[in-house]
Amino acid sequence: MSSDQNAFDFATITLADLDRLDSTVINDLSFGVVGLSPEGLVKVYNQTESRAAGLSLDSVLNTHYFATTAQCMNNFMVAQKFEDEPTLDTTLDYVLTLRMRPTPVKLRLLKGSAAPLRYILILRSK
Amino acid sequence: MTAVDDEFERDSTDLLQFLYACPVGLIRADATGGITMLNPVAMQLLLGLGSVSQSMNLFAAIEAYAPELRHVVSDFGAEQGQICQGHRLFVGRSQGGKTEIPLVLACTIVKLNKDQLIVTLEDISERVAQERRLKQADAWFSSLLNAKDDFAILGLDLDGRIQTADAAVLLQTGFAEHDLVGNHISILDRPDPASSSMSMPDEIACAHRDGWHLAESWSALRNGGRYRCHRLISVRGDESGAGQQVVGYTAVLRPVAQSRMDSDKIRRRLTTDHLTGVCNRAHFFDIAEEELRRCLRTGRPVGLISLDIDYFKLVNDTHGHAVGDQVLKMVASACAAVLRPIDTLARLGGEEFTAMLPGADAVLTSTVAETMRSAIASASIEVGGTDLHVTASLGWVVGSAATGSLADLVQQADRALYTAKRSGRDRVVEGRPVSPVA
Repeated sequence: MSSDQNAFDFATITLADLDRLDSTVINDLSFGVVGLSPEGLVKVYNQTESRAAGLSLDSVLNTHYFATTAQCMNNFMVAQKFEDEPTLDTTLDYVLTLRMRPTPVKLRLLKGSAAPLRYILILRSK
Repeated sequence: MTAVDDEFERDSTDLLQFLYACPVGLIRADATGGITMLNPVAMQLLLGLGSVSQSMNLFAAIEAYAPELRHVVSDFGAEQGQICQGHRLFVGRSQGGKTEIPLVLACTIVKLNKDQLIVTLEDISERVAQERRLKQADAWFSSLLNAKDDFAILGLDLDGRIQTADAAVLLQTGFAEHDLVGNHISILDRPDPASSSMSMPDEIACAHRDGWHLAESWSALRNGGRYRCHRLISVRGDESGAGQQVVGYTAVLRPVAQSRMDSDKIRRRLTTDHLTGVCNRAHFFDIAEEELRRCLRTGRPVGLISLDIDYFKLVNDTHGHAVGDQVLKMVASACAAVLRPIDTLARLGGEEFTAMLPGADAVLTSTVAETMRSAIASASIEVGGTDLHVTASLGWVVGSAATGSLADLVQQADRALYTAKRSGRDRVVEGRPVSPVA
C-alpha cells in the first residue's frame, strides 16, 4: 500500500480530497465511499463499497440511493440530515441491514455548501 | 457462472428487494432477543427506540417500553407458535418532534423453534390516535344522542347539592324527590371501594374547570343496589348577563348495559401496571395527552414529575426480584398516598414512575415531588429480619400554554431527573423552565 493511500483515512479525509482524488485511489480506500448528486443520485460508488454490499457499480450508478439501494438510511438520521443541514461533517454509529443482516458500521456524512457532491463514508469493523 | 447459478442469483436478489421494500418491520431473533436478521423498516423503528446499535438485542431495545415482553417470551412453554399479536408498545416520543402523537408500535412475535423468533413491528400511531378520537366521539354520541327518556337530569347548586330531580331520576333510582333534594349528589355515587375513580366533588371540580365532565360510574339505587351509568356533569351559566359566571351544574345520568361490567375488568387489565396497580405506560400517554390538551386549552398549568428508584438494580441483584417487586409496590403506594385523586401516577417501565398533576403550579408540583421523595426515603420493607430502605431521584417540570408536547415535558422532567442522579441521588431537581412564548 502506498503512503498516499495511508494519508486518507475514514476520520480525516476531506470533501476536497474526495472531489480531487481519481477513481483508482477512491476505489482502493479501505472504507466505502458513496457520492450523491444534490438530487440523491449515485455518482460515486467505490469498489470497497461495491464488494461489501454485493452490488455492482452498474446496478447502483445513477439510481436514487436512499430510495432504491439504501432504504435503511432513508430516515431522519441520515437522508434527512442531508436535506436539513446546509453543510455537514458528522460521524455516527449505525446499523446497516444489508442482505437482512444487522451490520454495525460507522458512517461519516459530508456535505459542503458549494461542493457538487455529498458523500457517505461507510466504515465496517473488520 | 452457470445458467442455474445465474437464475439462483436473480431469484435471491428479487427476494432481497422484496424484503427490503416490505413496509412492516421484520426481525429474526434468537431466544435471548439477539437480532440475526432484520429489514430496513425494522432497523428504522428500532433506532427510534434508542441505542439498539450497541446491543443488537430486541429485548434490550424495547425494555424501557414493554419490559413484560421478555417474560412473555420466556414464559411461552410451547415448542412453537404465536406468542403475541399486535402487542402495543407505547414509545411516547417521536423522533424529530414533528408530531404530538405518541409513537405506538404493534409487535407480533412468533416462535419458530426453541431458538428462533420471527418478529414484526409496525408503526400504528395514526391508528391509535384515530381510535382515541372515535372512542371519545362514541362516548359523546352514546350519552347525548340517545333517546331522551333514557336521561335522568338533576340540577345542582354550586356546592353540588341537588336542587331538582326530574321524573326520570326517580324512575331510574327509585328514590323519592324528598330523598334527594337538598342532599349532595355524592349520595348517588356508589364506586367500587378499591377503584381509583374520581369522587363526585372531583368530577364537579373538573366540570367547573373544563365546562363538562363525562364518566362511566356506578349510581345508587334506593333499595341499596347500584347500576352502571354514564354521568355527564356540565356547568350551568348565568344566562341573564354576558358573563360566564357559573351558577350551578346539570348532571345527566344514563344507564348503560350490564355487559359493560366485563369491559371494566378488561379495561383495568389494559390500563394498570400488573405489579403496582398504578396506571401503565400505555394508558398514561393516553390520558396524559388528553389532560395536557385540556390544560393548555384552559390556560391552566400542568405539573409533571419523573421518578426513578436509586440503585434499584443493586436491590434486585442483592435481594432478588421478589424483593425488587416489593420495593416497586412500596414506592408506588408511597407516591399514590401523596397525590390528589385527579392526579395520575404511572409506572413507565422498570423502576421509573411518572406523575401528572393537572392544574398544579410550580409550588405545588415541587412540594409534591419533595413529599414523595421523603415518603420513599422514610418507608421501608422488611427483608430477612432487617429493614430495607431505598431512595429515589426526582425531576419535575410545569407545562403551560407556552410549552410543547407531552413528549417535550416528559423529556424535560427526565433531564432534571438525570441531574438529580448525577448530583448524588435522593433529591428533587427542577426541570429547565421552558421559555415563554415571546
